[in-house]
Amino acid sequence: MTAHTADITPPEGVQVSFDISSAGARFGAQFLDILITFGGLLAFFFVMIWLQVFDWALLGTLFFLLIFLIRVPYYIFAELVWNGRTLGKKIAKIRVISADGRRLTPHQIVARNLMKEVEVFMPLTTLFAGEFSSTWTGWALAIWMIAILAVPLFNKRRQRLGDMLAGTLVVDQPKLVLMPDLAAQNVDAATGFVFDAGQLEVYGRYELQVLEEILRAEPKSPEAKEKVDHVARTIARKIGYRQQLLSKDTWVFLSDFYRQQREFLESRHLFGDTRENKFHGDAETDQVPRKSG
Amino acid sequence: MAQDIQSADLIRSARFRSEREDSWKRLETLLARVEKSGTKTLSYSEARDLASLYRQAMNSLSVARSISMDKALMKYLEALCARAYLVVYAPQESAVGVVQKLFVSGIPQAFRRSLLPLLIGFGAMIIGCLVGVLLYQQDPSWYFTFVPPELAAGRSPGASVSYLRDSLYDTGGRDGDTMGTFASFLFSHNTRIAIFIFALGVFAALPSFALTFYNGVLLGAFVALYAEAGLLLDVFAWLSIHGVTELSAICVACAGGAKLGLAVLNPGNLTRRAALKEAGRDAVKLAILAGLMLIVAAFVEGFLRQMVQTIWLRLTIGWGLGLVWLAWLLLSGRKEEPET
Repeated sequence: MTAHTADITPPEGVQVSFDISSAGARFGAQFLDILITFGGLLAFFFVMIWLQVFDWALLGTLFFLLIFLIRVPYYIFAELVWNGRTLGKKIAKIRVISADGRRLTPHQIVARNLMKEVEVFMPLTTLFAGEFSSTWTGWALAIWMIAILAVPLFNKRRQRLGDMLAGTLVVDQPKLVLMPDLAAQNVDAATGFVFDAGQLEVYGRYELQVLEEILRAEPKSPEAKEKVDHVARTIARKIGYRQQLLSKDTWVFLSDFYRQQREFLESRHLFGDTRENKFHGDAETDQVPRKSG
Repeated sequence: MAQDIQSADLIRSARFRSEREDSWKRLETLLARVEKSGTKTLSYSEARDLASLYRQAMNSLSVARSISMDKALMKYLEALCARAYLVVYAPQESAVGVVQKLFVSGIPQAFRRSLLPLLIGFGAMIIGCLVGVLLYQQDPSWYFTFVPPELAAGRSPGASVSYLRDSLYDTGGRDGDTMGTFASFLFSHNTRIAIFIFALGVFAALPSFALTFYNGVLLGAFVALYAEAGLLLDVFAWLSIHGVTELSAICVACAGGAKLGLAVLNPGNLTRRAALKEAGRDAVKLAILAGLMLIVAAFVEGFLRQMVQTIWLRLTIGWGLGLVWLAWLLLSGRKEEPET
């Protein structure tokens, strides 16, 4: 399934984008939550009965209270305390955020979880208990339940009805990985590949960032080296780099090219000439003429 | 590393990064700590740093977008800002404050704003009840159609008057402990039903209405059965003591559902999704109110109904409780501004 993103504008006014959680992660988190709450309840009662600390009447009272508390109230409480995360969501590394860029309010948490009763618990118990016969009402009921369960699959932001009601989204917890700066890393290694402006005119941002991804992993195996070789020779041909390119130099060639291409594109960008990809020359005619050539 | 290299040799965006990387890293460590053990573990100066580092990171992100084409950097900054945003804008309301506001102004105001849905909710129950009575009077065998056998528990047409009378006044030999179990069962069961009725409202209000209506029919048939045996006042008192609160709670839950359903059916100038969100504010409060009433009703039903055996005391407690609810909902939170 393709990854969707949601752009949130915090009060600071700089848009931040979150990845909308996949249906699998949502399902997994829900499954884990059910497992944890019901499993915990069962374990608790086994221990209680085994220890025989309470009499049956009190156990009964506790049982009915807890069976209620582990449904909607558990989710409300967990999401309030852990800022939009239940135990299952913590494990699945997803969380609830407010779609309006403000903080998550108690109202939103209560609203989205009250709907859980019809959106999750009712369909699940009905479908698993097989409480529908083969009559047409039974089938209609089953189809309706499946339709409710499938609501998040059929909208772009994967909101279930409770999310729509509360104005919330479920997103992936952002992962923090800072890769080294390729343009800084290789500055000393310059062995003298120098490109002129004409050669740097060819590519745009998209190609630069593809090259960045290639440069993130230094080739180890012969096949990988072959590929890098191929990339370097293709670039050399496209930009019209005339000198002889030895196989041992291709990595350095790409690094140097990356740095100079980035510097070039960034400065063009600062002058208002943003080049999204290698077709920037073709698109020029359709757009408003620019002052900086 | 970036610091070893003469900054003059770097291209502009790499220089930008090397100058700010340390503060990003510091923000990252602060975030990791807060996410793990909460904001409370931060000292005063650390909390202050967190806020200013967050704003710096936001600033960096916005600058990086305009000068840098380093994809890895953008991804990192984006994730850093997202994480920091979630930490800085975490829910801050104190639990006590939220609850207090809800009770003093939130719920009563939502109640007063929801006249039409409440009419629908109570209407469904009352009409259902009338239909139940009329059908029963026409033909008592309807009773078996409506009332599932496990709910009837022998209280069916043809049962002797004395059996019916006993069912209203029998303590069932329950002692204090089992009463507690019974009360908690009632609460658990009824509240789930109420949440269910509420949430079903989102499907154009009809399922909520139907369920409440069905509850009314049950009630009507039940009352008619006892009325036929000449026990109208007795059954009325028996039902009143908890029913005034419990049945009202079901109606309120239905009203909450109706509010959602009306927003879906008639969103006005808004999109359906926006209308639903708007209606949700009051509807959720009605659902909370219903839950609250059911807690009280379960206590009354579990304990008091067995302990209080006289008609007039039952009536007084039941309707007195109803009056208390009404007074709270109609009078509380009148002075304050309607909340946003």
